[in-house]
Amino acid sequence: MTTESAGEPASGSLGRRPSTSLALTAVLVLALSACGGNSSGSESDGGQSQALTLYTCVNDTTVQPVIAAFEKAESGSRVELFRAPTGELNARVAADARSGGLRADVVWGCDPLTMQAFVDQGLVGGWTPPGADAVPDEFRTDDYVGAHVLYMVAVHRTDAPAPRVWSDLAGPGYAALAVPDPSVAASALGTLGYFAQDPGYGVDYYRSLKANGAVQVSTPDDVTTGVAQGIYDAGITTASSAYAAKDDGSPVEVVWPEPGAIAIYGPIALATHSADSEVAKAFISFVVSKEGQTVLGGAGSYPTLPGVDGPTVPAGAPVVSPDWAAIGADKAAVLAEYQQVFGG
Amino acid sequence: MPARGTPTVVRAGVPVAVALLLAVLVALPLLRLVQVLWQESDGDLAGILGSPGLSTAVRHTVVLAVAVTVTAVPIGITLALVLRRPDLPGRAFWRVAVLLPVVVPDFVLGYSWTQAYARAGFTDTLLGLHWDGLLGPVGVWLVLVVNAAPLAYLVVAVGLAARSEPDLERAARASGAGSFTVLFTITLRLLLPAVAAASVLVFVLTLGTFAIPQVLGAPAGFGTVTTRIYADLSIGGDPASFLEAVTLALLLVLVAVVCVAPGDALLGPHLRSARPADAQGTQTVPGRQAVRRGQAVGLGGYLLLTMVVPLAALALSSVTRALGVPPTPGNWTLDHFRQVLTVRTVEALGRSVGLAVAAASLLVLLGGLVAVGERRRAGRATATLITLTLVLPGSTLAVALLITYGRWLSGTLTLILLAYLAKLWAFAHRPIAGALDRLPPDELRAARASGAGLLTAVRTVALRPLAPALLGAWLICFVTALHEVTMSSLLYGPGSETLAVVVLNSQELGRIGPTAALSVVLTLLVAAPAFVLWMVVGRLRVAHDGPHAEVARVG
Repeated sequence: MTTESAGEPASGSLGRRPSTSLALTAVLVLALSACGGNSSGSESDGGQSQALTLYTCVNDTTVQPVIAAFEKAESGSRVELFRAPTGELNARVAADARSGGLRADVVWGCDPLTMQAFVDQGLVGGWTPPGADAVPDEFRTDDYVGAHVLYMVAVHRTDAPAPRVWSDLAGPGYAALAVPDPSVAASALGTLGYFAQDPGYGVDYYRSLKANGAVQVSTPDDVTTGVAQGIYDAGITTASSAYAAKDDGSPVEVVWPEPGAIAIYGPIALATHSADSEVAKAFISFVVSKEGQTVLGGAGSYPTLPGVDGPTVPAGAPVVSPDWAAIGADKAAVLAEYQQVFGG
Repeated sequence: MPARGTPTVVRAGVPVAVALLLAVLVALPLLRLVQVLWQESDGDLAGILGSPGLSTAVRHTVVLAVAVTVTAVPIGITLALVLRRPDLPGRAFWRVAVLLPVVVPDFVLGYSWTQAYARAGFTDTLLGLHWDGLLGPVGVWLVLVVNAAPLAYLVVAVGLAARSEPDLERAARASGAGSFTVLFTITLRLLLPAVAAASVLVFVLTLGTFAIPQVLGAPAGFGTVTTRIYADLSIGGDPASFLEAVTLALLLVLVAVVCVAPGDALLGPHLRSARPADAQGTQTVPGRQAVRRGQAVGLGGYLLLTMVVPLAALALSSVTRALGVPPTPGNWTLDHFRQVLTVRTVEALGRSVGLAVAAASLLVLLGGLVAVGERRRAGRATATLITLTLVLPGSTLAVALLITYGRWLSGTLTLILLAYLAKLWAFAHRPIAGALDRLPPDELRAARASGAGLLTAVRTVALRPLAPALLGAWLICFVTALHEVTMSSLLYGPGSETLAVVVLNSQELGRIGPTAALSVVLTLLVAAPAFVLWMVVGRLRVAHDGPHAEVARVG
C-alpha cells in the first residue's frame, strides 16, 4: 500500500451519507431473513401437532416408504426427516449436543457402535418398544433395537472365481481385491471385528488378502463401484449395494461365503429428552412391528424381524454377528493392528 | 489504500461492515470450535496431536498443497495468456471449455478419471493402456491440478483483463525486447497480484480438499488431514473422535495462517502498483499465425487428456444402464436422468439456484468490501482472516456454524447461506482484490465533482473496469454453491433441502449413474448462463476499451 498511498490527501470531501455501508448491511440482513422465511425449523413441537423429528443415515429409498406408511397408520402424525451419511449425521448430532441439545426425537443409525456412543453420552436410550422381544437378541440392547440389517458379503466379477469361504479371497484367481476402510465405515469395522475375533482368521486374514493384491478403498459402496467397473476382481461389500449393481446389469455376482455374511444391524432409539413423546415411541414401535418391517423389506432393506420378507438372501445362506461390545472396547487396538497391514 | 476520491462514506462504513461480517462469519464460529476443544479436552491436546499417523497426514497435506499450487498456477497462467490472444483459432470455445471441470463436483471428477484411465477404463478397453498410479498420491495430485487449473486461470484471466498494459508491451517490443523479455518483465510483473491471489486460493483450497484424496488416495493408503477428519466423524460418534476432528480442522486453520498470513502482510502491498486513470484493455500485439496454431493444438491436447476423455466417460456413465457394461447404444438408458429429475428435485433445484444466486451476489459485495477495506493498514489482516474459513473442510465449518447459530437457525436456508458465505468469501475476494487497482480514483472524483450521484459515479466509472473481476467472482461462487454437498447435507432441515441433498440422499454417493446424470444436468444448467455471462463480459470490455482495442488492431 505504500506505493499507492504515498502523499495522497487523506480524504474526501464527499462524505455525507455514511449510510451506504448501513444499507449494505441491511441488504445482507434482509437477504438472510428472506432466506429463513420459508423454512419451518426442525424442532418438534412437543406432541401437540403430533410431529417428530427423525435423524437417520438410512437412505431415502428405504426411509421414505416407512415414514409414509407410519403417517398413514397414525393419522395426524408427521415425521420431519434429517437424513445424511454417517459422518455428517454424527457431526450434526455432535453439534446439536453442543448447542442446546439433540434436535431429534428418534435416531435411526446404521451401526450399533455409533448408537452405543450416543447412549453413553446420554443422548438416546432408556426405552425399547414392547414388541422388541421379537427381534433376535444379537440385534438389540436395553437402549435400542435393530430396525434393519446390512450383510457384508463378497462381490466378484463374473469372470473371477466365486469364493466359497471367506479365506478363498486370499487364494488364487484374483489379481486385485478391494476391502472397505474400517476407520471410515462402521460396517467395515464390524467385519474387521468379526474376523479379528475368529481364531481361524484374525487380523492375519487381512495380511493374506493384501499379499493377494487387496487394496483398501473408502466405503463398501466404493468396493462395489470398483468391482463393477472392473478395477478389482472381487471385494467385501454390503449385500444391498452388490445386488443393486447386479440388478442394474453390472457383470458381478454376489456370494455369502462361509462361515457367514457378517450382519451389521442398524439400531433405532428414542432421544432421552423425548422420553414422554408418544408419537416418537409410536414411530419406533411401528418400524420394528411386522407391518413396518414388511414395508422396509419391500423398500429394499433387510428386516431384523424373523419371518418378514426382504431383499435377496440365497437359500441356506449363513450369517454371523460380530461381538459389538468387544469391538467397542478394543476398537483402538484392533484398528492399530489392522493399520499395520493397510496403513491409513 | 484509498485512493483519493474514494467517498468518505465508503471509508467510514466499510471497516464497520467488514468487522461485523468478519465476526459473524469467521471469528465467532472459529472461536466456538476453539472453546469446545478447550472445554472438553481438559488440556489433553498432546494425546490427540501425538496420535499415530497424524504427522504423516499433515506432511501429505502440506506437500500436496504445495505441489498442486506450483503446478496448477503456472498452467492457469499459461491458459490465460494463450486464451488472451484474439487471433487464437476457436478462442470463444476454448474459453468456455477450460472452465468445465469447475462445474463438475469433486467426487464425480475423481470417479470420471478412474473410469477413463484406471484398469478396465476407457483407455484400457480401447488401447489396452491403463495407469495404476492414478489410484495413489500422483493421481490425487494430477486430478487436483486439473481441478484447480481452471480456478487459477479464471483469477489470472480476470487480472489480465484488468491489469494488462498492451501499449507498454508494444513499446517494449518496438524497442527491441524479445517476447520472453516482455512476458517476464511486463506482462507477468503486472499480473503478480492476480498470480498471488490464484496461488493463495489454490493452496488453501487444496489444504482443505477432501473428495479427491478420499476417492483416489485411499487405495494407496494415502491419507490427508481431511480424510482423517472424515474418518473421525464417521466412526464411533464418541466425543473423543469428535474432538480429534475439531483439533485437526483447527490445525488446518493454523497451517493456513502460517502459510498465508506472511504473504498477505508482506508481499501483498508490494505487488500492487499505481494505476493510470485511463486504464487500457486487453488487446495485444498480434502474433504469428503458426505460433497461434501451435498453441491451439497444445491447448486441444491438454483439454483432450484432462477434460474430454474423463468428462466423456462421465457423460457416458450417465446414460449407460450399469457400471461395467460397455457404453454402447444398446446399453443406453435415460433411467438415471429420470431418477434425478423428479418433482422433489425440481423444487430443490429452484431452491439451490436461488441460494446460489443469493450467495454469489452477496459474496461479490462482501469480497468487494474486503478488497476496498484491506487497502488501508488496519484492514490488511482481513484478507488472511477470510481464507481461514475456506481452509476448513465443509463438515467442520458446518459444525462450527451449527454450534454457534444452531439454537436459532438450525435447519434453515439462512444457516446454509451463512455457510456458503463463510466458505466462499475468499473465493469472491481474491479475484476482485487482484483487479481493484484498476479502479481509477481520479475519474471517480471527476464524476462526483461534475455532479454525478454516488451510485451513478460508481456504476459508470468504477463498475465498468471491475466488471470482469466481479463477474468472474460471481460465476465461481455461483457454480461452487450450486453443487455444494457436504455443508448443505449437514445443515438442511425440512423445506431447505438443496439439489445435492435430494439427489444424493436417495442414492448413496456410491451410485455413480444418477450422480453422473446430476453432473450432466448441472453442467448444462451452468454452462448455458455462464456462456451468456462470458459474452456479456466480453461486450462490456469491448465497450469500455473500444478505442484502445481499435488502436491495437490498427497497430
